[in-house]
Amino acid sequence: MTDSIMQTTLLAFQRFDPQNIWEGVQHPDLSKFLVIGALLFVIGVAGVLTRRNIIVIFMSIELILNAANLNFIAFSRYLQDSGNMNAVAGQVFTVFIIVVAAAEAAIGLGIVIALYRNKETIFIDKIDLLKW
Amino acid sequence: MILSGWESIFFWVFAVATLVAGLLTIMARNAVHSALFLISTLVSVAALFILLGAEFIAGVQILVYVGGVMVLFLFVIMLVNVSAEERGREELFNRPAQVGASVLFLLPLALGFIYAFNQSAPQFRPPGSTPDQSAEELVAHQSARRADQERRLPMAATRTSRLSDDTQRVGASLYRYGGLPFEIASVLLLVAIVGSVMLARTAKQEMAADDSEMAASPETTRAEGSSAI
Repeated sequence: MTDSIMQTTLLAFQRFDPQNIWEGVQHPDLSKFLVIGALLFVIGVAGVLTRRNIIVIFMSIELILNAANLNFIAFSRYLQDSGNMNAVAGQVFTVFIIVVAAAEAAIGLGIVIALYRNKETIFIDKIDLLKW
Repeated sequence: MILSGWESIFFWVFAVATLVAGLLTIMARNAVHSALFLISTLVSVAALFILLGAEFIAGVQILVYVGGVMVLFLFVIMLVNVSAEERGREELFNRPAQVGASVLFLLPLALGFIYAFNQSAPQFRPPGSTPDQSAEELVAHQSARRADQERRLPMAATRTSRLSDDTQRVGASLYRYGGLPFEIASVLLLVAIVGSVMLARTAKQEMAADDSEMAASPETTRAEGSSAI
């Protein structure tokens, strides 16, 4: 058991020689875009979890949606490079995500305005109407 | 998909810009600074879209996000006029137990991620390529194929590059295969317009529209502000 874990770990880190890494830096492929998308997603989630200003939370949600868009576009390009130039489903999906993001921002900010008019605050730890 | 030369420099510049601006978005104390950093994040992501050959999406990203959504954000920040500082009740990184636990959970997660990524790295090569091909061969192969595909496109006015037909392809795909989602999206936008107008009305406007309960009894309208939404 431990032997196989050690073996797979060693195998995984075999690719970590400087030559390999330098080649990856010189020739970024699909995986680099996926890593950027994942990191952007994590940044957005961290923003949603740690911030108290509801407007900044909305901005973090936009970051999350953009991370998803980046993945969609990267996979779309990947499929195009595999031969079919009409493989643009990812781009079409991204258009819909942008539409939903715009609608969400409009509604959310309307709610923020209504909340501020009634509660005089936009900090989410002060907005506890449904708590008792 | 594999990038080379100036494309990879472009990629690294805008990838780092995206992540740094994204981090500053969630770290800025002032909401206006957050909005400005978010704009730079969105522009950097749009640059990555251009790098990936999605010029139409990049344009939509700039127009809709930076031109529309972010202006909306800035207007709301202006209207609600919160004090610039958002002070937490306590510092974030001064509890050793919590920080230790999160590092403990993060380490195996990161190791597993690196392991999975390395195992699957060969799968990210373009389909149809053999595993023993070097990156240079892949780049040559791919650029030859792309040049072949671009030869059919019309020449741009500067005679240095071809016009992209990305927008045509996206439009054809959108209307050919995505007709119903397109209509649903338009209904969603209509609902969003009506909903945001309804949400942002003042009590006086609600009375004027004569669909509020407050309109029935004039006494309650004096207590404006203390009434519920």
